Parts: sequence; C-alpha cells; structure tokens
Amino acid sequence: MKAVEVSQLSKRFGDFTAVDRISFSVERGEVLGFLGPNGAGKTTTIKMILGLLEPSGGRITILGLDARKRRDDIKKMTGYMSQQFSLYPLLTVRENIEFFGGISGLGRAEIRGRQEALAGQLPDALMRLQVRSLPPGIRQKVALFVSLLAGPDLVFLDEPTSGVDPEARRAFWHTIYSLREKGKTILVTTHNLDEAEYADRILVIHQGRIVLEGAPRALLEERKAGSVEQLFREAISSHEKT
Amino acid sequence: MRLFYLVKKEVLEVVRQRELLVLLFLAPLIQIIILGYVITTDIKNVPVEVVNLSNSRAAAEITDRLRASPLFRIVKISDRPEQAEEVLRRGRVRAVIEFRDSPGRGRFSWTLPEVHILMDGIDANSSQIAAGYVNGIIKEYLQEQLGRVGLEIPAEAKALIRYNPRLRSINTMGPGIVALLLTVLSMFITAFSFVREREQHTMDTLLMSRLKPMEIYVGKALPAVLIGLLDMVLGIAVVILWFRIPLRGSVFYLFLASLLYLAAILSYALIISTVVVNQSQAMFFTWFSLVLFLMLSGFLTPLESIRARAPALAVLTEVNPLRYLIKIIREIFLKGNGPAFFWRDLAALAGIALVLTSLSLLNFRRFISK
Amino acid sequence: MKRLRAVMTKEFFHLLRDPRSLSVVFLMPIVQIFIFGYAISFDLENIPMAVIDQDRSEPSAHLAQDFERSTVFALKPLSRAKAEGDFEAANRALRAGEVKQVLVLSAGFAGQVRQGRTAEVGLIIDGSDSNVASRIFQYDQMIIQRFAAGLKGLEDVFQVKTKVYFNPESRSVFFFVPGLVAVILLMISAMLTASSIARERELGSAELLFISPLRSGEIILGKTLPYVLVALAVGSFILFFSHFWFGVPLRGNLLVLLFFALLFVLTGLSFGVLISALAPTQRVALLGSVLATLLPSILLSGFIFPLDSLATPLRALAEIIPATHFLRIIRGVAIKGASLRHFLREGASLAGLSLVMLSLAALRFTRLRRARR
Repeated sequence: MKAVEVSQLSKRFGDFTAVDRISFSVERGEVLGFLGPNGAGKTTTIKMILGLLEPSGGRITILGLDARKRRDDIKKMTGYMSQQFSLYPLLTVRENIEFFGGISGLGRAEIRGRQEALAGQLPDALMRLQVRSLPPGIRQKVALFVSLLAGPDLVFLDEPTSGVDPEARRAFWHTIYSLREKGKTILVTTHNLDEAEYADRILVIHQGRIVLEGAPRALLEERKAGSVEQLFREAISSHEKT
Repeated sequence: MRLFYLVKKEVLEVVRQRELLVLLFLAPLIQIIILGYVITTDIKNVPVEVVNLSNSRAAAEITDRLRASPLFRIVKISDRPEQAEEVLRRGRVRAVIEFRDSPGRGRFSWTLPEVHILMDGIDANSSQIAAGYVNGIIKEYLQEQLGRVGLEIPAEAKALIRYNPRLRSINTMGPGIVALLLTVLSMFITAFSFVREREQHTMDTLLMSRLKPMEIYVGKALPAVLIGLLDMVLGIAVVILWFRIPLRGSVFYLFLASLLYLAAILSYALIISTVVVNQSQAMFFTWFSLVLFLMLSGFLTPLESIRARAPALAVLTEVNPLRYLIKIIREIFLKGNGPAFFWRDLAALAGIALVLTSLSLLNFRRFISK
Repeated sequence: MKRLRAVMTKEFFHLLRDPRSLSVVFLMPIVQIFIFGYAISFDLENIPMAVIDQDRSEPSAHLAQDFERSTVFALKPLSRAKAEGDFEAANRALRAGEVKQVLVLSAGFAGQVRQGRTAEVGLIIDGSDSNVASRIFQYDQMIIQRFAAGLKGLEDVFQVKTKVYFNPESRSVFFFVPGLVAVILLMISAMLTASSIARERELGSAELLFISPLRSGEIILGKTLPYVLVALAVGSFILFFSHFWFGVPLRGNLLVLLFFALLFVLTGLSFGVLISALAPTQRVALLGSVLATLLPSILLSGFIFPLDSLATPLRALAEIIPATHFLRIIRGVAIKGASLRHFLREGASLAGLSLVMLSLAALRFTRLRRARR
C-alpha cells in the first residue's frame, strides 16, 4: 500500500486551472521532496491532500483510505508542520504542546510525558518562553515535535527550514532521517533547491503539472546536470516550450 | 474534552495581550462612566437671548426668573430690536425671547406683555423642551398674578411620575449604555477573533486537527460569550454603584436576557466576519449595523413614533434584538417587572438568538469547507 | 514627487480593488439618512395613553377629547377596567408599557371649574424613559393650557407665541445630517489612515517610513491623500443627496465649506497618523482610532446630545474635539446660511488642533526613528 496516491487531481478557480490532472504517489517510508516556484500549484496540491481544499476532479488515497470519505480516520494518522504558522505565538512551548496534544486526544499523563520529552532536548529557560520569542531554529524544532505528538505515520512538512541557518538545517534533516528509520513517510515542500538532494525522490511542479520526477542522484546522472538547480531550470524551460 | 483545550487556548491568547485586556475591560468601564455623564437628555443651561421691548414690570420680573433658573443661561439682554433670525444663525443662542407690549389690553391692572419665543429649529428637541420651560415659567408668573387679583387658573396639571420621579435621564440611559457597550464590544471581539485567526493562518491548523467544525465554532464563541458576560456584570455594577441607578427587578432575568442578546449579536458579528475580507471592512459593517440597531431600538426615539411615521421601517424594529433587550432592561431596572410582563420580549429575543446562531453555524461550516 | 505619486497610486488601487468597502462606505450613510429622514422625528406621535374620567361631565369629556384630537397621543381603552377597576387596570397597563400615561379626571372636576377654582388634572406618567416623559408632560401642559384659556376666555392672557426658524417642520434630518457627514469624514480619514499605516508597519514594509524625515513625510502623504479624496467625495455626496432628496438646505459658499471640510479631514488624518505611530498592530490601530476619535466625536460634539447640558469639565473637553467645531460650522453656514466671518474662531480651532496633532505625530515618528538606529 502506498502512503499517498494521487490520480488525475485537478483544481480550478473559475477560469484558472491551478492544478491540471496530476498523478503521483508516495511510497511508504520514503522522503519525498516537493519543489516548484510560487504559484506553480504546489501549495494548492498540498492543501487538497490535507483536506483544506475541495478538488475539482481526481482522486486522493491516503494510506489506503479514500481522502474524501475517510478524512477523520486519516487525520488520526497524519501530522502537519508549517514553520511559520502552526504554533500559537502567544502561548509558551509547554502550552502549545498541551493544546495540540489535547485536541489530538492525548490524556493528561501523556501530554505531560511529551512535555518532559521535549524539555530534555531544549534548554530549560526556553520551555516557558512564548513561542514568539523563540529563535527560528528552536521554533522549527518545537513545530516538528508538535506535529509528531499523536505519533502519525505520514508527516507533511511545509517549508520547514525557511529562515533557519545551515547548521540547524542539517540537524533538521538528521531528524527527518531518524523519522524515516522509524518507518514514517515524510513529504517535504521546499524552496531551497540544495535540500532537494536530501530527499529520496523529488517531484517538481510547474504551472499545475509535474515536470520532473525521480530520485535526485539518478536524475543528475541521467540528464548530465551539475546540480539540482540546473535540473530544475531545464525542466521548467522545456515545459514552458511545450 | 477537546473543547476544553480550545477554550483554554483562546482565553490564554486574550489574557496575554495586554492591550486587548485594556480595550476589553478597562476602556469600557471608563466609557460607561463618561457616557453616563454625557448621555444626558436633561436639558439645562440653554443659551438664550432676551430682547425686552416692553415697559412692563412683568417683562422685567419674568426675565429675572429666567436668569435665576438653572435651565437657562442668558447670554445677552437687549432692549433694542434685533434680527432674531440673524442672531440664531450665528448659533451662540438657542432661542430669542422677545417681550413686546401689546396695545389695547389692560384687562387687568397689570399687563402681561406679548411673549415671542423664537427658536432655532435645527436642534428641535432641545428647542422645544426649552420653549416648554419658558412657558412654564411664564405660566407660574401668571398664576401668581392672577392669584393676587383673586382669580385662579382654571385648570392645572398635576403630574405623578412613576418609576423615575426625578426624571433622571441616567436612569433611562444607564442600563441602555451597558447594553450598547456590550454590543459594540461583542461585535468587535468576534469579528476580530475569526478574522485574526484567518490572517494568522492558524485556522488551517485547527481545521486539520481532529476538531470538528462545530467544536471550533463553540470553542471560539464560548470565550467571547464569557468576556461579554463579564463585561456586562462589571458594567451593571458600575452603573448601579456609581450612578445609583435602582435595580428593582430580578437579576436572574437580567442575565438571561443578556445571555440571549449576547448569543444573538455574537452570531451576527460572526456572520459579518465571514462575509468580510479584512479588518477595515469588519469595522465599517460593524459600525453600520450598530447605528441601525440603535436608531431602531427605542433607545433614542420611541417605537410608537417610528411606527406612526414609517410603518415599513417598523418591521425592522420587530427583528432588532437590541429593542427587546432595552425594553426588558428598563422594565427590570426601573419598574421591577417580572417575567409575566416581558415574557413575549424574552421569547422574541430567544427566537432571534436561535435563528442567528443557527445561521452563523451554517455559515461557518460553509465558509471553512470552501 | 514621483515617489509620492507612486505611493498614492498603489493606495488608490488598494482601495478600488475593494468594491465592497467602497459600496458600503457610500451606501451606509445613505441608508442612515433614509432612516433619519423617514423614521426618526423630533415630534412625538401616536403615544398611547388612557383616560380615567370619573367626573363624566361636559368639561371633562371636552378635555379628554382635546387629548384625543392631538396627533401626539393615541387614546387606548383600558382592557381590564371592568374586571379590575380603573386604577388597577391603569397601573397594569402602565407597568406593561401598553400606555405611557394615564389622564385622571376625578369627580368634581366640573364643579371646580364652575366655581372658578383651579381644577386639578391628574396625570400619571411613565418616567422610565425620561426624555419621552418630559416631552409628554410638556405636550400635556400645552393642551391643558389651551383648554384652561378656552374656559375662562383667557386666551388673550396667554400670549406666548412660538416661531421656529430654519426647520419649521422639525425634521430630524436637518439636525443629523451634518453630524453624519462629520462622522463619515472622520471614520474614513482617521480609521483608514491608521490601519493603512499600521498595516505597513506590521508587514515590515514600513522600514521605509523610518529612513528619513522627507521620505517618511512623502510616504505618509501618499498613503493618506487618497483617503482625503474619498472622504471628501463621500461627504459631499451625502450632503447633496440629503439636499435633493430630503430638502436639507445647503446654503453658504460651498467652496468655503469644502475648505473647512478639508481642515476637518486633516485633523482626522493627523489623528490617524498619530495612532498609527503609537499602535503596534493593525487591530489595535483600528480599535484605538475608533475609541479615540469616533466615540467622542459622536457623543461630545453636539451631534446627538446637546452640549449645553454637560458639566463644565466635559464641555471643556468638547472644545478640543474637532467635530464640535466642524459641526458648528456646517450647521451654521450650510444649514442656517450664516456668513462665514462668524465662524472664524471655529475655523482657527480646527487648524490649530490639526497642527498640534501633526506635530505630535511627527515627534513620535522621530523618536521611533531614533530608537531604530
């Protein structure tokens, strides 16, 4: 069973087609990198997969379940992290954990356990700070932690490393790999093209269509490209020509 | 259970924004106090000009009485004819009181001059009341004079004012001010709460969680209701303790009515906030609705008059929740009425609250599943 | 200069892309004027009252009829009089709000009149709405006075004549429209300015504001001028509409009025700028501008509630509210047709107030700029 299967997915806003009959799948236990310029349809696709937007056409199957009919069950198995927006800035780290744990159905004891778990990884002082005062690297860590609170099998990371320094970025990808070791499936969207090489496979979207798909290393060899950036540019320009 | 966490988060967010707290609790209290002093429909200190073209003693004595009365402030006394219209145009006086001798009278041993009250009709309300006061003073004088010659005024009004014997306007306006403030506040709280969530993009986060739409709705509405009720309690306490307004009826029904009213306007504000795109629009719509509610509520003009003049608009008064709240509040405070008297208004309020709440819930569901 | 125009154009587009806001801004006041024009009046009408006539004589019936004939009152029968007795029923009706007053003519009324003594006319009035109650009582007295004069042939003694200028039909629109114009002008200029600038600050693009005084001046001007134009457009629209539809007089030199309106809008703008300099977020800016400008302008300017009745400290406060002066000018010049030279003091006050607020705003921006260095 694949983690995510998308078939002929489309989204139209009036006359404008944001996503045009794309199909792809995500294997279980892989790290998929989702790339594409702004306005390419990346965010729209993710929103449809997450259930925030109604597709205009096509099917989405997540962990074997029909995304439209079994959304509630799917929610129990997925986690989402957006570096900018998923934490409440006015609440402290502890309070954010309590909130997200609570609405995910964790009991008091479990919540406390999780709070302690994170406390072990962070300097004490930071646990009681409001999220808005946290440095971006720490905020990212906390956001990831929160997205994993209910132990999901499938995790969506939306631009997780934006605004974070290279050191912290490397550490972050370490964490992603360790999640993969635990058998989780991870979907990462990013602007940052060097990060694409960290993923097992990449998917490039442009003007609502998939223009490149495959494992980064294999693609680099095949296309005799020097960098992912080159791959990217070539894929987009050839798509524009058609 | 999940609801508990949502409500807790909402409360924490409000409490952590100091300016919001000030705006939600301190500012309204201060405003209530200021409003209590400002919203006085008692007319006093009316600036007038007296033009005395009469030689009679009566004119001089009446002028003295006008001067002594706190109702008037005599800006100028002139003994030469003035262009009243021009004087009134300049706006420094509200009325010109002119005394003129009338020829061929002298039915009595004293003469009562002709009195002309020339009023600025722009603020017709104040002018009319002022004219009434002048009439009163003249009548009093007349009565004394007639009495001296053994005559009496054939008929006189003897008024018994119920529920508010000294006709303090604060008694009328006070509870209404609290209702007003409640309205303004609730509208702003809700409109901003949902718009803020959307602008912060955390609405998506909530939607992706296991919270059901109904839970999100209640989780955001409940704190708003709590804040509103708290404000109401504080406001009423201020109004009673500071302005010494009597509260003669049941506190329980006061709360019930306020709760229903809160439910109604919060739902209304929610609907606005989902219809609106940004905060400026929210502000405009809110302001607009507020004025509409106010004008057609019986707070400023009696409903009977509206019904007589514009029956079409009177329909709007029937669906205006503020109208029912004002009526119930005034009855509970001043008349000490029990539910036997206002159950119909309470029922209407409940009905409106029900309709609006359901509408806002439906709207919310539709809005989030775009 | 080019920068100025660029900022202005951007702000204009922002406005125009928002047709909903625009329509609301134009439509709102019109609807309000309609309601004022048709529903709200200064004259009371149709006020329900009951009569308890225990005398049942010719004079008493006559007096009751005088009340009935008046448009102010509407006589209603006491529904439970037979069952409960007159006074019980009257009390109940009063309490329930079914009637606002009860006229009581006790037995012996006619007798007193005949004997030349003062006959008492009893009135039980519902005081829970004090304004209405006062007005009711005055109407009562007028009716009774006329009745009394008629009785004794004393008409000529009661020689009080009243004449109403500028608004012979006591239409409330005449009174409210100037206030409405002021409020709209204020709302647009203060609120939108404050929120627009605050929005920039929030988004972070406001760093430009703090680079240099000349630049920030230009930017602020560019951001606020469109709102000035919109405000003036809406204000004029309201005035003309009420003039043509409701006959609200529009006298005086319109250009001069425009100038004063501009000054008034300037005060609103400066206040908006000041608030935006103080407020950290857009929401606070909006709320702050509402609380600080709108509410006092409505309550303390003489828009609805008469200024004269206020206690001295409040009346002093009213004098530093720009709306107070603007209202005096509009009412005096536009509606009553007075000549401008009587309102120079108000004009100077408007100019002075805006100067003060602009300087305060400038000061605040300077301090903010220094803090950033």
